[in-house]
Amino acid sequence: MTAVTVQRPSWWQRNQRRLAPYFFIAPFYILFIVFFLGPGVFALYLSLHSWNGIGPLKFVGLSNFKELLTDTVFLKALRNTAFYSGTSLFVVTPISLLLAVALNARLVRFKDTLRTIYFTPIVTSSVAISIVFLVLYNQRSGLLNTVLGYLGIDPINWLGSRQWSKLAVLGLVTWRWAGFNAIYFLAGLQTIPQTLYEAAMVDGANRWQMFWEITIPTLRPVLLFVAVIVLIGSAQIFEEPYMLTNGGPVDSSLSIANYLYRVGLSQYLRFGYASAIGFVMFALIFFFSWLQMRSFGVFQED
Amino acid sequence: MAKAWRSAFAIVVHALLIIGALITVLPFLWMVLSSFKTTTEIFRYPPALLPDRWIFRHYLDLFRTTLFPRWYGNSLWVATIATLAVLFFSSLAGFGFGKYDFWGREVLFNILIASMIVPFGVVLIPLFVMVSRLGMIDKYATLIVPFMAPAFGIFMMKQFMASIPSELLDSARIDGAQEFGIYWRIVLPLLRPALGALTVYTFLGSWNSFLWPLVIMRSMARYTLPVGLATLIGISSGGKIEYGMLLAGSTLVSLPVVTLFLLMQRQFIAGLTLGSVKE
Repeated sequence: MTAVTVQRPSWWQRNQRRLAPYFFIAPFYILFIVFFLGPGVFALYLSLHSWNGIGPLKFVGLSNFKELLTDTVFLKALRNTAFYSGTSLFVVTPISLLLAVALNARLVRFKDTLRTIYFTPIVTSSVAISIVFLVLYNQRSGLLNTVLGYLGIDPINWLGSRQWSKLAVLGLVTWRWAGFNAIYFLAGLQTIPQTLYEAAMVDGANRWQMFWEITIPTLRPVLLFVAVIVLIGSAQIFEEPYMLTNGGPVDSSLSIANYLYRVGLSQYLRFGYASAIGFVMFALIFFFSWLQMRSFGVFQED
Repeated sequence: MAKAWRSAFAIVVHALLIIGALITVLPFLWMVLSSFKTTTEIFRYPPALLPDRWIFRHYLDLFRTTLFPRWYGNSLWVATIATLAVLFFSSLAGFGFGKYDFWGREVLFNILIASMIVPFGVVLIPLFVMVSRLGMIDKYATLIVPFMAPAFGIFMMKQFMASIPSELLDSARIDGAQEFGIYWRIVLPLLRPALGALTVYTFLGSWNSFLWPLVIMRSMARYTLPVGLATLIGISSGGKIEYGMLLAGSTLVSLPVVTLFLLMQRQFIAGLTLGSVKE
């Protein structure tokens, strides 16, 4: 009697379809836990301690956070960052929106070329481009002051005065990011059916009314998306002030991230205090993006 | 009347767009042209666009007196490896989320999305402590490994999965294909346009990355380009800053990424905006 051996599928073969996706997505969760979640929990622990990285950790309770409340440099960095985020949201983002509307208009020509030009600044290294802006912002011979001079404006000390340093950073930020955000608005605008505008035109609506009655309401989800990414990005601004002014003069352009780097790594090695700064940054980003989502009605059930 | 109004409006819009485009292009133009001027000429008043005499000394100096060629190689190496790793892990996880129904999928995906709002600043210090304890300071791997499976890349790949018909995968299963084989032989080739977008995105991000390499890389010979360029300012600041050389460096740093972007912009922009707009 000869036994016919039918090969039974192995355990893995029978179960792979059920288990494979877990293997496929595992790398993200492993890296996330090891490099972000774990360190995040450690940061919380560190923020309650005083530590310079070498000696033993000393538990200090909430005193790092209390110190932040009276740390004038931190409060300045907080105000400066509020300025960067506020202007990014309420100046740069509207410019992006207008740019996108213009690039989407039927009467505008060379759309593709213009779109490419406006997008290019974001692909270059902020370090490389900051060096160019150092030259352009030069008080005596920079191109910006030269152009302003033709308009009868006296030379401005962009990088060396407390009054102007933040605006110099904002100038670079606007130049880099306006076109990038516009790309999202443009993609959103292209999904609005032309027939909506045609119907409005028949009803006698003008451009202004169409913009507020059709464009803005349909763009709401994209507006929210851009508002959130702009907030998250601008609240962590580091490179532009670091390169242009190194936060100065007298900390007038220092951002929270710049201060965190200074306190934790480049000057003082106060790991606990720097971690507390990181947590405040996280809490602020979390709170304000929640506020944005709430004001856009994301959490409303309808 | 309405027609005249309309064409006046068109002229104003075009004028504004062109002025904006000039402002956008000017710093690039200034960077390239000034890199061929002497440093004295760069800061001469009134400034002129074109150099009096084209000089190439700054480029030569960059290669002869600094570690610039080394940094260029380092950045190229790090960005290439980082990109390959990100393409693999993102597409694999995107496939997992996009084409399988499994227990916990919703929750896990929400965690992935939520992870995007955690600012890097929160983990910077503890990550630095951890990396130094592990003896991983000054290692290229430290620049790559933590960012190998980015949430944004996975999200982008998952969005693209919708365009791949599930029937194709099922018929491969009937033919006895393994799940990983389906990914490797069927899904990956079909993902090519999406992978193009993610390549540009990741390469740019790695090439331009500054804060983390600034914290991690200690020996000058192992710097990446942005860190090297930034230290060139610091090094020369004792005497006079050699702006000509710095601008030559900036030009060379920008060259590959601007080229890459111009070549692949259509795919890149399509990939970026996917998911931000619900169609």
